[in-house]
Amino acid sequence: MYGLMSGRDFFINRYRQLGWQFKNVESRQAIRINQGNAKGKNLPERLRLLGVMLQKVPFLEFGYWIEDSKVSAGATAEYLLGLYSIQEAAAQIPVTLFTAPRGKHVLDACAAPGGKTTQLADLMNNSGVITALDINKNRLAALANQLERCHVRCCVVYNLDVRRASGMNLRFDKILLDVPCSGNFAADPQWFNRRTLQDVERNAKVQREILSESTKCLAPDGEIVYSTCSLEPEENELNMDWAVKNLGLQIQTVDCLGVDGLTEVFGKRLDASISRCRRIWPEKTQGFFVCKMKKRAELP
Amino acid sequence: MKPLTEFASRFGGKVALNPEFILERAKRFYLLNPALRKVARGDFYYSGLYLGKIKNGTFFPSFNFLNMVVPFAVNKVVLERKAAWLFICGRDIFRRGIIKLMGSKHRGDFTLVMNEFGECLGFGVVTGNFEEEGKVAVRNVLDVGDFLRREA
Repeated sequence: MYGLMSGRDFFINRYRQLGWQFKNVESRQAIRINQGNAKGKNLPERLRLLGVMLQKVPFLEFGYWIEDSKVSAGATAEYLLGLYSIQEAAAQIPVTLFTAPRGKHVLDACAAPGGKTTQLADLMNNSGVITALDINKNRLAALANQLERCHVRCCVVYNLDVRRASGMNLRFDKILLDVPCSGNFAADPQWFNRRTLQDVERNAKVQREILSESTKCLAPDGEIVYSTCSLEPEENELNMDWAVKNLGLQIQTVDCLGVDGLTEVFGKRLDASISRCRRIWPEKTQGFFVCKMKKRAELP
Repeated sequence: MKPLTEFASRFGGKVALNPEFILERAKRFYLLNPALRKVARGDFYYSGLYLGKIKNGTFFPSFNFLNMVVPFAVNKVVLERKAAWLFICGRDIFRRGIIKLMGSKHRGDFTLVMNEFGECLGFGVVTGNFEEEGKVAVRNVLDVGDFLRREA
């Protein structure tokens, strides 16, 4: 059945139905300056002297695209000293959507390899606590390396499936759900050959399980930021619609790159609030989807 | 605690550590702030600031711990740009690459290795050959290039 529901033409036709005309996009390498570590070090100038030419990403406070480089950006002393991290521009957006995370208890639910965890720690000025989980023990070494390289002090890491997080008996002020997803063609040149609609639906189911369990761990006035690097509505708007209708979550307005979330998907009408999500079609960045949610206030 | 203070003393200084905030788990040492101490369960994989580990009876410091030692250490060498690059590639240090030498010149002592910006790149063992141009002056023990080698 799924044999026909895959391939380049199949997905490109889906994107057309969703209102986007396919164009080939190559992901640009970007860095994020770790403010806490790079303060007063004039990092862009230091990198320029090494032959790394940067261009400020207009929609990110600390993000830069690498325009040209004579050296590998992942092998400079400045990188190894934690002055910056390599992180695709769109991937830098989700963490910036939290309101005032400093001093709070934040859950990073699918944390490895740790790009967003170190970004969170930097935005939190290493105050408060980040509880970082990952189901895959093999990926935790990479996460630990990132934390050490970036001198993160406020994070505790567990080898735990977020779908069992309520067993920790903790309530979090902020929850980052950068969930496992199907990815997109701009980040993986072989994407169209690898993915089927069945993969997308399997991921969407896991994402709903993650959403459901995480909501149980959210403090009453807490925030969830949900993100994927998938373009498929099953993993994005349709899941958010499900969360609004089944988990008592309310979509919040965010101000970031992207277009409004789709409120009609393949003929299915979704909750109007889904338009507050941001869908980032590949252009300046890879594809991405972000959404911020809070628990709906109980009626008196 | 003791392995950390003993290690730090090999740089000719004395590091100030509050034992209340240091946690040892599976021969690894972590510095936990009060907020973390309150919530961290015993089965964590990593927590707070990783300070180093004991392996085969020897203490291996983290780069976080080396940075904590910097203000207290007496033994330091500051490298010029090219020597700094070679050092993080795992190479030893020759006299001509050192622009500033502080503290011990005695063979076998530890010395922190710094770049021109005052950042700690790792540490090495003094060989004592500070006068002869063509000989290794500091043998590389640990450098930040280790982050790349770990993931290879």
